[in-house]
Amino acid sequence: MKTYDVIVIGAGNGGLAAAATCARAGLSTLLLERHNIPGGSASSFVRGRFEFEPSLHELAGVGAEDGKGQIEDMFTRFNADVDWHTHDSTFRLVVPAKEGDKDAFVNENGVSVTIDARMPVGFESFARKLDELVPGSYESCMKAFDLSERMFKAFECLDDLKKLPGSIKDLPDIMRMVSHTMKETLDALGMPKKAQDIFSTYWCYMGSPGSKFDFLYYMAVLHSYVKDGTGIPRLRSHEMSLAIDKVIRDAGGEIWYNSEVTKVLMKHGKPEGVVINGEKEVYGKYFICNSSPNTVWKDLFTKRDIPEKQLKMLNTRKIACTLTTVYLGMNKTKEELGITDYSVFIAPDSDSDKQYEAAQNYFSGYCIINCLNEIIPDCTPEGTCQLFLTTMTFGDVMKDIKPQDYKRFKTKVAEDMIETCEKALNISIKPHIEEIEIALPPTFARYLNTPWGTPYGYMLEKWDSMIPRTVQYLQDQPFDNFLFCGASQERGDGYGCAYYTGEKAGGIVVKVIEKEGK
Amino acid sequence: MASNLNSLKAKKFLSMLPERQARFNEGKAELVEIEDNAMALAKALHPKRQYLKIEKITERGEDCRSYTLVPDGEKTKSLAYFGAGKYLTVFETIEGMPVTRAYSISSSPKESLEGRYVLTVKLVDGGLVSKYIFDNWEVGTEVEVSAPSGNFEYQPLRDAKKVICLAGGSGITPFVSMAKAVADGDEDFELTLLYGSRSYESILFAEELAELEKKCDKIKVVNVLSDKGVKVKKGDEKGLLTAELIKKYAPENEPYSVFICGPQQMYDFLGDELLKLKLEKKYIRHEMFGEFHNPSSQEDYPEGIPEKITVKVRIQDEVYTVEGNSADSLMQTLEKNGISVPARCRSGECGFCHSHLLSGKVYVPKQLEYRRLADYKFGCIHPCCSFPLTDIEMEVPTAK
Repeated sequence: MKTYDVIVIGAGNGGLAAAATCARAGLSTLLLERHNIPGGSASSFVRGRFEFEPSLHELAGVGAEDGKGQIEDMFTRFNADVDWHTHDSTFRLVVPAKEGDKDAFVNENGVSVTIDARMPVGFESFARKLDELVPGSYESCMKAFDLSERMFKAFECLDDLKKLPGSIKDLPDIMRMVSHTMKETLDALGMPKKAQDIFSTYWCYMGSPGSKFDFLYYMAVLHSYVKDGTGIPRLRSHEMSLAIDKVIRDAGGEIWYNSEVTKVLMKHGKPEGVVINGEKEVYGKYFICNSSPNTVWKDLFTKRDIPEKQLKMLNTRKIACTLTTVYLGMNKTKEELGITDYSVFIAPDSDSDKQYEAAQNYFSGYCIINCLNEIIPDCTPEGTCQLFLTTMTFGDVMKDIKPQDYKRFKTKVAEDMIETCEKALNISIKPHIEEIEIALPPTFARYLNTPWGTPYGYMLEKWDSMIPRTVQYLQDQPFDNFLFCGASQERGDGYGCAYYTGEKAGGIVVKVIEKEGK
Repeated sequence: MASNLNSLKAKKFLSMLPERQARFNEGKAELVEIEDNAMALAKALHPKRQYLKIEKITERGEDCRSYTLVPDGEKTKSLAYFGAGKYLTVFETIEGMPVTRAYSISSSPKESLEGRYVLTVKLVDGGLVSKYIFDNWEVGTEVEVSAPSGNFEYQPLRDAKKVICLAGGSGITPFVSMAKAVADGDEDFELTLLYGSRSYESILFAEELAELEKKCDKIKVVNVLSDKGVKVKKGDEKGLLTAELIKKYAPENEPYSVFICGPQQMYDFLGDELLKLKLEKKYIRHEMFGEFHNPSSQEDYPEGIPEKITVKVRIQDEVYTVEGNSADSLMQTLEKNGISVPARCRSGECGFCHSHLLSGKVYVPKQLEYRRLADYKFGCIHPCCSFPLTDIEMEVPTAK
């Protein structure tokens, strides 16, 4: 019986990066995936004459001038062939006015709003625009970017602590950013409240509100978007996933699809193999797992084999938000529909904490509308365009929905989201829908096999944020030959984060095996 | 740097690591099941397999039978609910050869809650699976099926309030389910069924449809009979499903959708007729085309293709080399050699058989082309509608 050097469980972004890293280093690598295609969230699906992007909004770390953005750099190193399209704006935030709002004004769409912020790329431009919208915010905004610039340099030290003395003078500020929330830090920098609301528009990408996650974590996202703009693969995320699939194969790795790990086999208190689809056993020396720890401990291990700490971790952490997405194939162009931006965040309230509270209910009026044709004009046939609308929710929001109510419920949520966008942008969507698909938490649960269908792992709260997770990564792993990667790990959700954790876990295994060889 | 940044205590950082581990330490060391209705719904609606047995067989003329299927009570306790229009894939093994077929569910969604699906099977001339079913399925026979699948369904945000359903022959089955769902109040649209048959004798579900029409004023049934000598009853029509006929029953000043399900010839004929109606694409929806045969009859099929081909296939860590015929899809070739392939729709659409073509060339009829764009770039195919033009090397996921 063949024993693989590494068995990777799950071909999500983390698993793909891990398997590619191991295979390229010459390790015998087996990647196991329960679905018939790679990528997890990073995939695509076809309806009629449209091919939809299921989850990707934009990638940070693609399109940097030096080509050294994190994601692009990894694909280049892997020699993985992806055709990138880049985009040089960040986001537009629209907060429709409520009755009695004193600061309401009518925007370019003829809608009464309290905020309409279309934010450019470039630190200076971003800060100037913010200052134009909220006078007196320029300085604090530039300070925030300066902090994150220094922080990025310090980041390099995380992987190699010996580099630390070089940036020792930055240490106190970095320690401050890591140990304080977004809100605490922006307050300390003296940023006006309304400017903070605009500044923290991407909060939902973090899966928790600005009073919960640390400043550094948010800035890791905003900084790279503002610095370099964003990118997206030409052929939906399926292109990225198949590109890495090819890297793994070309390097001699194996990928078995439709091969769900249903049990982990133990020997002397350590994993030694897995059972696939309840029948076939394969053996390995090391394991990298891209599945949700909740699913892994519940389904793949017998109780007595689970390290106590892992159970304690499960019971301490909160599951991050889950998503609802409506995919629309439109029989009109974006110009005909009156869509002018790639990404518009529509918020019923500008304050992220209030938005977060509202998102405990099913649909709170918070909705992001994306139009892929803004970045890839010919991503749909002539005369058409595709939109996707996203909202997030926290908790087990499908309670009380029975199978026979589900279709009606789904349609209702989609209709609410569509109407919210129609109103906020003063456009007409409904009459022009040629294809529609609605993904609710059960859809994500089905494809991702995570609790509540979350694609985001665990909530990154102040006490369980990126830096402590990174520093304590190894001591949080269950066995010395079994490492987790993906959204549940140190960097939380996001394609770049998952790739990073996968590549890192793969790198650890490569090093350990090299050492063993010597 | 701003002086007031100093109001934040840098030392707080030092307590973060111990605090985190201390928090974990306070956690319960038990496997606590969290309530997860999202996952529960996903599992209820999309079981991997459903294990059923035949409770009843209804003859519908000489060459058509309805099979009432109920849970086997052991591996399957209740049935997955579905939206009217969906199909089940049936898994069978015929003389050691694993095969699958997709059949539209002709019972209502409501009946699935009562533990009952009805599949209606027409005996196809020279059909392998339908003949097997007719010869072997009896009351009590165990049958393995997929979760309800497919996209041929009414969608209120996309489709018009009025739907003209065009059915031919056994293509009536999804419309029977839709009509029942409308009558039950589970779907809300006006359904006008133009049902093409050769003669009154060949109409399937005649009584059920008449009853549904009587019971529910949102349903209208018009039989359209094509045999020359047929005497047409009041309210029915003679001839074929033409643009003119559709116009006659379509609303005049409001949009309507057209749903189509029937044999290949009907799709071919309707293609031209529908053009005359100048409908927006969004208002035309058709059920999948079904398994494709005789690729060489297609205009764009290349010349000089050898009849015999060799297929080398890798599934997990096993490699098989088999002989096949270029007239068969790669899926059929593998099945004929006793190799199971993941299969659902067998019409190119669902992508369930997504596989890697490692070497060789295939022909895919353009009407069955539902691959993702990146699939072309990286050499991925749907074996159910890929016909080999050369010897082939491929990798196929295991059929679990």
